Amino acid sequence: MSLRNWAAAALCTLGLALGAVPADAQKAGGTFVYLVQPEPPSLASYLSTSGPIGLVAPKIYDGLFDYDNDLNIVPALAESYEVSEDGKTVTFNLRQGVTWHDGAPFTSADVQFTVMSVLKEVHPRGPNSFREVTSIDTPDDHTAVFNLANPAPYMLRALSAYESPMVPKHLLEGTDIRSSDLATSPVGTGAYKFVEWKKGQYIRLDKNENYWKPGLPYIERIVGRFIPDASTRTAAMENGEVMYGAYGAIPNIDAVRLRDTDGFSVTTDGYSMINPMALIEFNTTKAPFDNSAIRKAISLAIDREFLIENIWFGYGKPATSALSTNFAPTGLYKAGLPNYAAKADVAGAIAMLDAAGITPDANGIRATAVLDLIPYGEDWRRAGEYMKQAMSEIGISLELRYEDVPTWLKRIYADYDFEMNINYFYQLPDPVLGVHRHYGTDQIRQGTHFVNSSRYSNPTLDALLASGAQEASATKRAEIYGEVQDILAEDMPVVNLFEMQFLTVYNEKLKDHATSALGAYGPFDRAWLDE
Amino acid sequence: MSHFARRIRYVVKRLLQAIPIVLAIVILNFLLLQLAEGDAVDVLAGEAGSATPEYMAELRAKFGLDQPLPVQLAVYLKNVMFFDLGYSFRHEMPVSELILDRMMPTLLLMVATITLAVGFGIFLGLVAAMGLNTWRDTAISIFALITYATPLFWVGLMMIVVFSLNLRWFPTSGMENFAMFYEGWDRVWDIAHHLVLPTITLSLFYLALYTRLMRASMLEQAGQDYVTTARAKGVTENRIMFVHVLRNALLPVVTMAGVQVGALIGGSVIVESVFAWPGLGMLAFEALFSRDLNLLLGIFLLSALLVVAVNLVVDIIYSTLDPRIEVS
Repeated sequence: MSLRNWAAAALCTLGLALGAVPADAQKAGGTFVYLVQPEPPSLASYLSTSGPIGLVAPKIYDGLFDYDNDLNIVPALAESYEVSEDGKTVTFNLRQGVTWHDGAPFTSADVQFTVMSVLKEVHPRGPNSFREVTSIDTPDDHTAVFNLANPAPYMLRALSAYESPMVPKHLLEGTDIRSSDLATSPVGTGAYKFVEWKKGQYIRLDKNENYWKPGLPYIERIVGRFIPDASTRTAAMENGEVMYGAYGAIPNIDAVRLRDTDGFSVTTDGYSMINPMALIEFNTTKAPFDNSAIRKAISLAIDREFLIENIWFGYGKPATSALSTNFAPTGLYKAGLPNYAAKADVAGAIAMLDAAGITPDANGIRATAVLDLIPYGEDWRRAGEYMKQAMSEIGISLELRYEDVPTWLKRIYADYDFEMNINYFYQLPDPVLGVHRHYGTDQIRQGTHFVNSSRYSNPTLDALLASGAQEASATKRAEIYGEVQDILAEDMPVVNLFEMQFLTVYNEKLKDHATSALGAYGPFDRAWLDE
Repeated sequence: MSHFARRIRYVVKRLLQAIPIVLAIVILNFLLLQLAEGDAVDVLAGEAGSATPEYMAELRAKFGLDQPLPVQLAVYLKNVMFFDLGYSFRHEMPVSELILDRMMPTLLLMVATITLAVGFGIFLGLVAAMGLNTWRDTAISIFALITYATPLFWVGLMMIVVFSLNLRWFPTSGMENFAMFYEGWDRVWDIAHHLVLPTITLSLFYLALYTRLMRASMLEQAGQDYVTTARAKGVTENRIMFVHVLRNALLPVVTMAGVQVGALIGGSVIVESVFAWPGLGMLAFEALFSRDLNLLLGIFLLSALLVVAVNLVVDIIYSTLDPRIEVS
């Protein structure tokens, strides 16, 4: 251990001794068991943004920032930052005395390596988040200077432990990052240390005694359990065997029942940086969906409130634009756009189809199509059944297709062998990170999943997206994205259905678990058990 | 040639015969699995969110999925010859390690289930046959019919509702208490405690089968000439039942148990899923949906070997139960 580490450890101890622990009744200790569903393929959050990895890895790794529930930046590994006048230099002042779980010191070299050699190279969204970063200078161990080609205001929203985890240079440098052992035995700077992964059963993390936040974490041990059956997950929650389940681990039908049971609560907090949006993609290269009129008619004919009320038990908000209303605080969301109906406007839809010359045949059928359903659960099948019903009212005859995940991914994103596809996308905390990939011409990337599979291409829109990414002024950005939303409401390459609200169900013995905007993908360093 | 030497020869011969069968099973499985759309890379990349085509090509090359099919098959066969089941790219672990890890829970559940189902089934069948057409017989038959006809997942969930949620006698799921991490005898007790509900659920289904089989078999044997002979000789009814009839009636039950040991590996997927029991069935199920073909082939190979081995054991038990059946 170096002298600095000793100093850090001493400081931590001192912090404890001086009563840095708040005066509330937070209790230390205990084992917190929660649901991780499904079992993650690895814990390499620097390689994969897969949901279940996000449930575990951010408790082990830290980001430069965390974000509070109002999306304000909360310092994490970076204590402070400055953006230069022209927006092309961002300087992060790193926290001193932070050590990796193996005892090595965390320095600016780790930040440089993480961003330049890991996130920009192998992370699914990293190349986009850090695309303007040309180099990172490390004038000393605690300063990292990001040099940008153009201003990148969205980058500051992508620095959480979930989105951009800081990984140890000394363990990854010189190895093949994609096949490093770090994937299954992670070493971070976070509140909890990885201990054991029993395949098919659980992942166990223990408290990091040298965590840089004095007095934290309170919980002694975290265990993420894998329970394949949804009903059993609910039973385990009711029985007190697990205390927390997020991202629909407890299906809505059970969640609303637990909500009304003593000792359990349900929250929709903790998803605002994820921003999931349910939607329908179209194959815009083939008739009849090459005509924007039919896409707009479909959007009008869907009773979004009915979908939310009856299939998602009231959790969700009708979509009113291509952007989620969660972008309203940053001014990017535009209200009052046409072609988005909260309640079905069947007459309007039929009028639109008639005007476009899409007329019914002798059987009253204007078009037939196969609707593919995202294979991520029963709710989507119900949504498909609703769609079949609703579309028959405007003369569109749908056939439903439900396949397993690999078959479906290949069909939609590699073979483009589909007509309509019900799906959902994470819009993430900035449109550049989560929305551009759905509409840009440069995002028609055959074989890449969750990008522009509609193959919609509009040079005007492309230009707007490019300038929106680089615009530093908030008002100008709002104007640009206003135009983007106008165009998308008119062309409707994708019908946005509703802003999804995932549910987190928890045992009320668990306190202070929702302190980060990242919710279940957050660090859980301030959570404690009242038992 | 002594009886013992003959038996050894027989076992060796049967084992040699098994080699081409297992080989054929491996090749058939390999080819069948190729029919599934999409591959492991699609699933990994899909879960990861966005991944570039270059990255996916790189992964395919790393997994050997870019090779032509015959080459992939040849490589796999060669590895299997040397007892190397390959590498699971999804779990980033050798297949043999993964399978071994899940072997214990599977065997626990399998042995407990077979013991309970066969033991209890034989007992119930015996009771039913001895009290033919009495209320006992009717009650047992109705019980068997109901347990056989009830879907496993429903029985499992009802078990959880009754015994975990309402009575709080047993935990809902898992193999151990993960809040405590017991050690030593406490751990053994904890695992046994977790084993109760899945075993009962899975046994109920098989129990019905053995009960019916045992009952029918007992009745059939009871009408045989040797029973009349024994009775004429003045052997007591109890001795006829338990020594003469029972022994012969067991043969079909043993056959059935042998066939089902193999099926139990895969057939327990539902119970493993409902009770989050970390067995091979669940592993195979997940492997299929993530197109982890190396892992799936490994599990198939293991169950093929198991079926071959169990059949051999059954044949040997036959000759013990009924000395007239010679191994040759």
